[in-house]
Amino acid sequence: MSTTDQRNEQTQLSGEIVKVVSFHLGSEEYGVDIAQVQEIIRMVEITHVPKAPRFMEGVINLRGQLIPIIDLRTRFGMDRETHTKNTRIIVTEIATKRVGIIVDSVSEVINIPIEQVEEAPEMIAGVGTEYISGVGKLNERLIILLDLQKVITAQEKEELAGAEIVTS
Amino acid sequence: MSDDLFDKAEFVAYFRDETEELLQQIDSDLLHLEEFIDHGNADPEIVNSLFRALHTIKGSSGMLGFSEVQALAHKLENLCDLLRKDRMPLSEGALNILFAGRDFLTELISNAVEGTDPPTGLKEYGERLDSFVAVYEQTSSLIEGKAGEETSFTEEAAEVTPVSASEIEAFEAEVERLLAEERAKAAAAPAPAEPPPAPAAPAAAVEPQAVETPNGSLSKAEGIAERIVAAREAAPAAQGAPAQEKQKRTSAHQTIRVDIERLDMLLNLVGELVINRTRISDIANTLDRSIKDPDMDGAADRIAPLAKDLADSSALLARTTNEIQESIMKVRMVPIGQVFDRFPRLVRDVAKARGKEVQLKISGAETDLDKTIVDEVGEPLMHLLRNCVDHGIEDPNTRERRGKQRFGTISLNAYHEGNQIIVEVIDDGGGIDLQRVRDRGIKQGLISESDRLTDREIIELIFTPGFSTAETISDVSGRGVGMDVVKKNIQRLKGVFDVDSQEGAGTTFTMKLPLTLAIIQALLVRVANELYAIPLDSVIESQRVEMEDVRTVHGNEAILLRGQVVPLVRVAEFFELGGERDPDKVMIVIVGLQGRQVGLVVDSFQGEQEIVIKPLSDVIGRIPGISGATILGNGSISLIIDVHSLVSEAYAGGKIARAEFSGV
Repeated sequence: MSTTDQRNEQTQLSGEIVKVVSFHLGSEEYGVDIAQVQEIIRMVEITHVPKAPRFMEGVINLRGQLIPIIDLRTRFGMDRETHTKNTRIIVTEIATKRVGIIVDSVSEVINIPIEQVEEAPEMIAGVGTEYISGVGKLNERLIILLDLQKVITAQEKEELAGAEIVTS
Repeated sequence: MSDDLFDKAEFVAYFRDETEELLQQIDSDLLHLEEFIDHGNADPEIVNSLFRALHTIKGSSGMLGFSEVQALAHKLENLCDLLRKDRMPLSEGALNILFAGRDFLTELISNAVEGTDPPTGLKEYGERLDSFVAVYEQTSSLIEGKAGEETSFTEEAAEVTPVSASEIEAFEAEVERLLAEERAKAAAAPAPAEPPPAPAAPAAAVEPQAVETPNGSLSKAEGIAERIVAAREAAPAAQGAPAQEKQKRTSAHQTIRVDIERLDMLLNLVGELVINRTRISDIANTLDRSIKDPDMDGAADRIAPLAKDLADSSALLARTTNEIQESIMKVRMVPIGQVFDRFPRLVRDVAKARGKEVQLKISGAETDLDKTIVDEVGEPLMHLLRNCVDHGIEDPNTRERRGKQRFGTISLNAYHEGNQIIVEVIDDGGGIDLQRVRDRGIKQGLISESDRLTDREIIELIFTPGFSTAETISDVSGRGVGMDVVKKNIQRLKGVFDVDSQEGAGTTFTMKLPLTLAIIQALLVRVANELYAIPLDSVIESQRVEMEDVRTVHGNEAILLRGQVVPLVRVAEFFELGGERDPDKVMIVIVGLQGRQVGLVVDSFQGEQEIVIKPLSDVIGRIPGISGATILGNGSISLIIDVHSLVSEAYAGGKIARAEFSGV
């Protein structure tokens, strides 16, 4: 017990830690790099944008700024869920683009030692591996680490090609 | 350390702005100088201005350590110095060298500031410039009668000149002049006629016969000179286009020069806002105390004056924000002359390349316009002007045959008209050849032989993507990317583009542009429970029409409005929003597109409002029919309908038949 703690301590001292905001989507737990997260807000009224890609839920007014909102469930080809009081929008900024993503619920900020992060396995419940930068293991928990940049850019490619989202 | 870096960035930004203005100055000076070519002597005022501009560039680039810019500016400055001191006559060769030098300066500066690709051919140009200056320093002494060392001069010149064939271009004019001068002397003493060997050696690269010229055959040398002239005429054309591209890129930076008075006014207004903020927080505090006061009896009396104060404050707030809005719009306004300035050069270059004589008349350069629009309007105007010179204006001989002046005139006018800016490009060329456009249209399968088109509809054909009447593709225009691009660009700016042409008499292109893009008047409408904003400038009227008055033409809905068939587009169906059709009536917003009318069917009208346009994130991408969004007073979002793209999309999707759309 104490030895594990010590080991954790040492890892932390060496600074090799991934700090992620973890959230739930269906039965899986995901994490995004905390540096990419600007804020987490409750569900607000979303203005639908017609003829936009299916996963593009619409736009919201965040203190005078228009932020496009992606429904992560639709993005990953999961079934849509009705929003609950736990539903959150994670506002991220990637490459100067601000985008909100809808998730089922946000749990906490966790530190994952880098050696506990493994490469993404071939397939994870409906999520294309291209969006995954790795899988973090923390005790009994498996946290799928998302590459938000890809979540946004890959989508642009699909838009250009006019193709549907392919889930592998 | 980091302070140093920061400072330098600031200086570089300033340098970029400053040099851009100076380069523009150099351009206009050179164009003025060109008018003096026939005199052989330059207006000293202009040469001085040129010299000063180059000198400033030299100084500031040296300060920032842009040594290449500095070196070139220095060399050009030397050349101007020769002109200034009358040690060199003003020749076409000299001007061409200066024009080319100005282009290289532009590229070098953008290379230094923005790290773009270094210009190609700079080394050759530098050598050409050096030898040009060197020769003048030599020849001026020759002219002054110190012709004692012809042999050494010849050697020296031969050593300098072989660097590239292109340098002859510059050298030729002077040689010719020298030849004429020396010809008289040659009769008496043939020896001084020796200088021609200088151009002979390099000319060999272009024209093998040239090797014979050292024998003193003047006529042959002149023949070569003529070929060289022809070659030179062609050269700037090829260089013209990329130079323009570069110019565009450098002007894309996002700074703006603002009249200090406008800023002061803004500052005053912000001051008022701050005072008002204090007042409102006072009211809030007092209100807070009143509520906590256990004595509730007098509460109403105490709160009443507060309510009045609050009302005053909010009125003041409304007034101040309005004024701030106005001032900040004024800050964004810049004179359209900023774009016009580069066109004299463009027209000159294209006209030269095409062997035409064209004068460009500019009026209204001081007309203020939103910075964004000024930046965006440059490219379409450039296309138009090129087109006018290339296709519009006839060559001098044809013009003479048609009883016109040899030189064509293109007028570029800008002026205010109501809430809009009008920019016109008028040429007095041949006009649009309707028969030819029709023939091309049939050939390209745009229309069929049997189509009966009005003149107006034929003219509309030139806006079809890929349409070109040019049989061969020239490097100036005629690639078929032209008018449709111009029209699209203008429409993107919420402007209207129109053409009027009279065969044989000329063509008029008119752009109507909004003063600003940021704030517009809009009509709010409700469609399938969402609010949409339709820019008021395209709305003609709104109508409630009974369902029984809606007819069907070719399977599409239309109404008859004052004898005209107006096709309908159901917005809810266009955007696939679902929702039920009202079986009794339709609410229609009639929008106008260049004289045509289309009715947009909505659920209800929600009144007019001034809205601030915000672009949709590029993460969403472009959506046909939507130009952006706005945030309303209550914080909710309303999407803005892009009437142009909505109607053309509906038209393309077969929702409106062509005949109806044209209003035929």
